[in-house]
Amino acid sequence: MAKESAKKKTKGPEYIRIKYNAHRPYDWSTGKYLGKVYAEAKENKKLVGNRCPQCKDIWLPPTPVCPKCKIDMGWDWVELPQTGTLYQYTYLVYPLWDPHYGEKWANPYPSAVILLDNGVFYRHWLEETDKEKLKTGMRLQAVWKEDYDERGQGVQDILYFRTIEE
Amino acid sequence: MSERVGIISVAQTKYHPNRADVSEEELSYEAIKQVLEETGISLSDIDSAVTCSQDFWDGRTISSMNIQHVVGAHLGHEDNISEDGINAVYAAMAQILSGRQDIVLVEAHTKESQTDKSMVENAAFDAISMRQLGLDFTSAAALQAKRYMYKYGITAEQCAMVAVRNRANAKNNPLAQEPMDITVDDVLGSKILVSPIRLLDTKPISDGACAMIMTTESRAKKLTKNPVWILGASNCYETHYLGDRDLADCDALTKAAKKAYSMAGITNPLRQIDVAEISTEYSYQEPLWFEGLGFCDRGKGGKLVESRVIKMGGNLPVNPSGGVLPGNPNGVAGMARVVEAVLQLRGEAGDRQIKGAKVALAHGYTGICGQHQAVMILGNI
Repeated sequence: MAKESAKKKTKGPEYIRIKYNAHRPYDWSTGKYLGKVYAEAKENKKLVGNRCPQCKDIWLPPTPVCPKCKIDMGWDWVELPQTGTLYQYTYLVYPLWDPHYGEKWANPYPSAVILLDNGVFYRHWLEETDKEKLKTGMRLQAVWKEDYDERGQGVQDILYFRTIEE
Repeated sequence: MSERVGIISVAQTKYHPNRADVSEEELSYEAIKQVLEETGISLSDIDSAVTCSQDFWDGRTISSMNIQHVVGAHLGHEDNISEDGINAVYAAMAQILSGRQDIVLVEAHTKESQTDKSMVENAAFDAISMRQLGLDFTSAAALQAKRYMYKYGITAEQCAMVAVRNRANAKNNPLAQEPMDITVDDVLGSKILVSPIRLLDTKPISDGACAMIMTTESRAKKLTKNPVWILGASNCYETHYLGDRDLADCDALTKAAKKAYSMAGITNPLRQIDVAEISTEYSYQEPLWFEGLGFCDRGKGGKLVESRVIKMGGNLPVNPSGGVLPGNPNGVAGMARVVEAVLQLRGEAGDRQIKGAKVALAHGYTGICGQHQAVMILGNI
């Protein structure tokens, strides 16, 4: 008996893994607020946000209710400048999951918050990926996909923000 | 309950097969806007928001994040329930009874149209013991329907009568998705999805949202002329693994109902309750839930379905709104039952109004074969 149980112990339990690699389909709607932002991007290569009637803060992504004043935003849209400064950045080196393709982004890249020239924060890619050349406060400008038919991808209608000299 | 909790405003969107025109946030706001306008309460007056949404339906973790602005939760208190909205109502009630929150906004939304129903429901099953066995809520429900019909001799005709009556009642509900004039033969002639469940034995894909404002008894009396009180409320859970229970009986519902009835002083539900709104996604569930709710003895649900008692004009009309079968989304369905009960008790149910209703029952459930059951008794006196 003792021998038997000792034998079992060394063998140990058998672990089996159940793996799923299924595609999970979703078909999300932008609705009318984000839909307006994406339509302006596709049709006119414009960045827009919506403005609170009370505090006048501009929101992008837009919102039906001002988070601060907690009132209905109405339908007041403002065009945003496409230039700004690098407000804050960090540098990602581990491979992050790419939700579109289910693969990992191989290259290291900077993750950036851009302060547009009217004071609205925007989150996007940077063209410059050499971390030695990144500097807080550097000037940036949006670069769009030029081909109309390639736009209509929402936030990805902008390719990235390019470093500019002024 | 030592102190009562009042519901002072309720709203629903129209239920629709595909609201591709709105985001989840905008859909929710359609309902929320109505309760704010009715009460004159602004989002900055809300002490706490209790929301109900399910991550797999919304396709994101922490599914309440995308609606935080429209529930006024920015730098405020918010809790999210992932079962049915009726449990969000329960959680809001508990918050108010705790004395820590005064005015609570309750919200539930689901857009079933934006993903695959079977995929979401399959994910409700245990990943490594059950998910691979070809199960979703409908195929599991069919097992329950078969067992229930076999054990108690419930007939397909009796189940079909449920499908007919609920869709006919929905004709008086302007927010219903699929009000229909159909016959028992139409139901029995509709295509089989998974035997014995046919297309008309179940509900269509649905998008929609509900909202509600709840508060303390004293605030409720100041804020509205016709508050509705929660007189009793209870939830009960039972085993997940289908082999661990007799699917012909619904012990969780029996327990939930007993507790809610004892809180509300209900000893004879058929006599003391004026109107009931019951979550029935599949037609066989109505007679089964009747048994769990103590409207009749076990195995007698089929007979009750046939009787006049539960029809409009009967002793206890069930689902004047049409209930879930004409189309309500998962997660919203049970809260919509509470909303309908409130409308009845406020005399605001339009063509589906039960005259002089004073006590109403709302029922919701979540999960596989009615695994998690919730019963709420509401009153207007």
